[in-house]
Amino acid sequence: MATAAAWDGPTAAELKAAGAEAIPGGVRLKGWVIQTNKGPILNSASVNLFEDKLQTTHLPEMVFGESFLSLQHAQTGIRLHFNALDALKAWKQEALPPVQVPAAAKWKFRSSPSDQVILDYDYTFTTPYCGSDALVLNQDTTQTSLDECSSLCWEDTDDQIDLVALSAKEPILLYDEVILYEDELADSGISFLTVRVRVMPTGWFLLQRFWLRVDDVLMRLRDTRLYCSFGSNEEVKPVVLREICWREATFAAMDAEGYPSDSAAYADPNLVARKLPVVTQKTQKLKVPS
Amino acid sequence: MGTSDLDRQIEQLKRCEPLAEGEVKALCLKAMEILVEESNVQRVDAPVTICGDIHGQFYDMKELFKVGGDCPKTNYLFLGDFVDRGFYSVETFLLLLALKVRYPDRITLIRGNHESRQITQVYGFYDECLRKYGSVNVWRYCTEIFDYLSLSALIENKIFSVHGGLSPAISTLDQIRVIDRKQEVPHDGAMCDLLWSDPEDAVDGWGLSPRGAGYLFGGNIVTSFNHSNNIDYICRAHQLVMEGFKWMFNNKIVTVWSAPNYCYRCGNVAAILELDENLNKQFRVFEAAPHESRGVPAKRPAPDYFL
Repeated sequence: MATAAAWDGPTAAELKAAGAEAIPGGVRLKGWVIQTNKGPILNSASVNLFEDKLQTTHLPEMVFGESFLSLQHAQTGIRLHFNALDALKAWKQEALPPVQVPAAAKWKFRSSPSDQVILDYDYTFTTPYCGSDALVLNQDTTQTSLDECSSLCWEDTDDQIDLVALSAKEPILLYDEVILYEDELADSGISFLTVRVRVMPTGWFLLQRFWLRVDDVLMRLRDTRLYCSFGSNEEVKPVVLREICWREATFAAMDAEGYPSDSAAYADPNLVARKLPVVTQKTQKLKVPS
Repeated sequence: MGTSDLDRQIEQLKRCEPLAEGEVKALCLKAMEILVEESNVQRVDAPVTICGDIHGQFYDMKELFKVGGDCPKTNYLFLGDFVDRGFYSVETFLLLLALKVRYPDRITLIRGNHESRQITQVYGFYDECLRKYGSVNVWRYCTEIFDYLSLSALIENKIFSVHGGLSPAISTLDQIRVIDRKQEVPHDGAMCDLLWSDPEDAVDGWGLSPRGAGYLFGGNIVTSFNHSNNIDYICRAHQLVMEGFKWMFNNKIVTVWSAPNYCYRCGNVAAILELDENLNKQFRVFEAAPHESRGVPAKRPAPDYFL
């Protein structure tokens, strides 16, 4: 995930040229305030709090409960937020059936204790979460999303995220990667939810990624990309596009396609992404409140 | 291999410099002679300091020794998961193994679920050996030694120590003693359970993981195991706990975790459990080694034009 090379952040000249201002944990430019926060995993007390809020006794092994990415546009009141609690609420709601590991077949025939309970929650923590949004009317009243009816609305669109513009090697004024949660599936693979952001003089772009590999069983990738191009006039309402792309394949299907079938070959989701077939894809545009 | 050779190797490993391939081979042969004599329920005398998962976090293990004292002055029991995930599995395991060969009565190493051929091929140790030695020979020598590691320890007949937990196939310690352990960790059965199972608040009795494999055990299982084997409590590792240790089931079982800032990003503290000659307990909590001491600068990740 993280690369070894060091980076000292944007230069003062780069910030100035873009009309940007560095603020604690982020950057302010073109009417947007974009910030990240990275904290440790939940301690025992916070785990209990999360379990109460989510009405569950099962959480990922590593929940970075204080970590978030936040993007706010003061003029319109748009507030986009990415955090573990909301992502886990969505996991709880989707409630997929558990994925059986290869050893499970053998275990079925093992003489089991008579008082055995079989737990059946989705231990992969697969989530349809694609961010939380809210309309912040003034500094005091914040309406958080998901549970309540969101004030922001996303409409399907034929527009596409401008990959050409995003490929331009502009100065990066803010770059960060925030892990929201992660689980090692008791050494049966990996599951994590991260969000990466980069802010350039002409726009911001983020990628939230849920990645799951159940060793020798299946891989699941759920990407959410958000892009906002600043345009030339700050008074103009911002245009935010959201592309949701879900990919999934079993190891058996990968093997049939001639791809490697051992888990060690699928350590990096960046290298795996294109090999996995798309199961859902759509692009939406944020309807900006007037 | 003489004592002076070993002492030199230990000093070298303490600087986080791996041994030559030939030295690893000789060290493993020597270790095998010692480990083969150990019981599946290895007897350990108090005072002793119990350590949980290390996972190749070499510089954090050096912090552990700073807090707990050097071996052989301190008597150690390590509960497995020496390798995988961290950057220095090779140096971590070889240092522990060299200490074992040099001071066999002052350090006990038992097997974790990561001391396995299959798991190390997925979670880092195999790749690290290949990268550091250009061949997989060192991985082969080490994984052969894994098969000889004991499965559990019994401290003064009162504290049962194991990497994972209990098994429905095991109700007495004698049933552990008769396991033929010299093999790769199986996918099921008593040996697998000892290295893989977890205590679970949500079940009473035995539970099966939603993965379809892997046992969970509740408080009454622990109570009855402790009672029938006349032990005070179980000490195990295997699960990350933010505070470094965690008691469950009315102090009948404790989890000890010794990898601070796990995977270099969790921000957790680690702990070791010190038992004096009267089995009085003291947890020593410690943090990850400071960045400067590991020779890696703490810089922000380079920006990436990801799409």
